[in-house]
Amino acid sequence: MTKTLSLLAAVAALAFTTSAYAGGDAVRGKQKAEQVCAACHATNGDWKKPLQPEYPTLAGQHADYIITALNEYKRGDKSMIGRKNPIMAGQAASLTATEIQDLAAFFSELEGNLHVKR
Amino acid sequence: MNKLLRISALGALLAAALPSFAQNAAPAPAAPAAAPAAAAPAAPASLAGTVPNDAGVGHSGGKAAMCIGCHGIPGYQMAFPHVYHVPMIAGQNEKYIENALKAYKSGERKHPTMHSIASSLSDADIAELAAYYGAPAAAPAGGK
Repeated sequence: MTKTLSLLAAVAALAFTTSAYAGGDAVRGKQKAEQVCAACHATNGDWKKPLQPEYPTLAGQHADYIITALNEYKRGDKSMIGRKNPIMAGQAASLTATEIQDLAAFFSELEGNLHVKR
Repeated sequence: MNKLLRISALGALLAAALPSFAQNAAPAPAAPAAAPAAAAPAAPASLAGTVPNDAGVGHSGGKAAMCIGCHGIPGYQMAFPHVYHVPMIAGQNEKYIENALKAYKSGERKHPTMHSIASSLSDADIAELAAYYGAPAAAPAGGK
């Protein structure tokens, strides 16, 4: 009985951790996103429509992937894993770890068209 | 002797493991034939076969089989260099997917797994996969 209970507690804790990923604040993220991301990743405030077809949609993307991607832009192509992109390098360089988490929380909670397809 | 046995066992294991990866990376034997306009749509999307393109033109030539092992599983997580969800790519901008795959191939984006997969793709393969997963560039306003 105790064992079952503690297992349940563990599962519940895990579920909580995944939903509140890394503790980003979506409200702060929204402010930041509107300042620095919206110019390219949205059109007139619509996050489902990036300005150019070569810019990715971020609405609804996994929070931890967004964090990973931003950190990869920060690293550039000098390490084993990273991305070389002049535009995003500049953007990511100006973001703190907290701001990145906030942005990830905001974007992942937006409704979007991204989905899993086989 | 014992050690030798162990080493050869290890070698055998490696040899067994590598081809399955190489299979993933090698171009599919069947070149994507010019898809007859009406013949394809009835075929169900399957791991080994051809995957009908949403647009109804051509198909991914089965190349999507390389993607679905990670990108086709809801909630699938990558474990290197840390644990995170692989991105959802369906519904992403087609042009962005194309550029991303080319950047993985060239090394502008450095990621060992994606580099090896993208390196096995031709420009035509990349264009087909981008079309298969991607959303059309000019989505109708208000469309879901």
